[in-house]
Amino acid sequence: MIEELFRIERDALKDSVIHRLDARVKIAIAFAAIIALVAVPYSTMIFTVGIIFYVFFCVLWACTRLSPIIYAKRALAIIPLWGIIIFFQIFLKNRYYTTYDVVMSLPFGINIYAQSIEFAFILFVKFVICISFIILLSSTTKLQDMLEGASRMGLPAEFALALGMMIRYLFVFGYMYRKINETLKTKCFDAFDHHLPYRYRLQQLGYTIGTMFIRSYEQGERVYTSMLCRGYGRESYLFVEKKALKRHEWAFLSTSLVFITAVPVIVWITRISLF
Amino acid sequence: MHIPDAFIPIWQGAIYWIIALVFVALALKWARDEMNEEKLPLIAVLAAGIFALQSFNLPVSMGTSGHLVGGALAAIILGSPFAAVFILTLVLIVQAILFGDGGITTLGANIINMGVIGGFVGFYTFKGMMGATKSMPISAFVAAWLACLIPSLACAVEMFLAGTFPLTEGLIAMGIYHGIIGVIEGFVTVAAIYLITTARPDLVDTGVKTPSGA
Repeated sequence: MIEELFRIERDALKDSVIHRLDARVKIAIAFAAIIALVAVPYSTMIFTVGIIFYVFFCVLWACTRLSPIIYAKRALAIIPLWGIIIFFQIFLKNRYYTTYDVVMSLPFGINIYAQSIEFAFILFVKFVICISFIILLSSTTKLQDMLEGASRMGLPAEFALALGMMIRYLFVFGYMYRKINETLKTKCFDAFDHHLPYRYRLQQLGYTIGTMFIRSYEQGERVYTSMLCRGYGRESYLFVEKKALKRHEWAFLSTSLVFITAVPVIVWITRISLF
Repeated sequence: MHIPDAFIPIWQGAIYWIIALVFVALALKWARDEMNEEKLPLIAVLAAGIFALQSFNLPVSMGTSGHLVGGALAAIILGSPFAAVFILTLVLIVQAILFGDGGITTLGANIINMGVIGGFVGFYTFKGMMGATKSMPISAFVAAWLACLIPSLACAVEMFLAGTFPLTEGLIAMGIYHGIIGVIEGFVTVAAIYLITTARPDLVDTGVKTPSGA
């Protein structure tokens, strides 16, 4: 995950219409899309809502001028773990259906149900599109900008300070993680090497993690001391300059929010189905 | 264990958010009152460290791997379950917003599971076991194992309440997987605490001053 951090930040440093948008606009649109998708009931109407939202996402992604491969790689890194849980849904009954039709019977009394397959698809569509909006947000917004955006949107000052400090040092520890890994490789240590006793491998990893813990604590102490030297105190907070949204950002934000809200409502009222 | 968006209905997600926010507020109060006044930056930097050490792949078996959650480790070393709540809240926010690991609407549930339940179970198991056995390795191992297992069971219960996974199958699957991962988490936590108590005993705030726990 830590390796991905550098790649994501590199993508966020690129330039495009979407990259240049204020972080608040992107946060609001991504969160609104996710909330709207999750708020849609577990029913087949999600297929229509989902495809419209996904087209919206694709248009936004095209505007980022980032390669679709970047999106695909990031999505594929996230999807498999919960994809397995979604896949298992096809064998299970759930409370959202009253009757179940067996599509296929397997040994040991295991059945695949038509309704369960439908439910698995519903979950999959919701999950993948929610992930897509998170990928869009993080691939086009620098971490620091995201924090400033969140602060301007009302994130409590103490939390903004803590999160800001954490974000700043994520990269320091990212490099530290790389160095420690390189050191372990130099010593020919491989945690997955079956020739080494299992207990020895866990012990070495435990010591490595302990070392990292001490180093991060000591880094924290140094940061804290240097902040005290610069006058940091209980009343200190992260200064975030006030910044008004530009006219085109307001226009884009309001249009997007209306679209995100209207699509599920219209689909629900009119019962339109694209499938 | 990071429940993603879509696996919990929006209204249940909102309830978990409200509960989590209460604990986050208490953790903020703890950071202000108990951490020698303004040591908030120290905890924040430590959170970045925990985030990085979660990246170490730990061998489980048959080529599979897991990673440390670190809630029990943070709570034991810093001497409060709120340390785990605070640190894991920061870590989970970054994981959800940056990597999509865990969701936005399910962030409250994830904070409750890994931060609140993991932190409290880890800390109080350690305290109780230390009182009973006077042995750091045994206490830290059991604490870390339970801090990995119990949140996973809570996760299974939440998914059952959401109607997205049956209870029995969920408890069995999550219990077995995290029971195994928890053993690794236990060993690694013991080794990490051993190293920290040897190298920097002043950091440990749970009364453990020697590696054996005396």
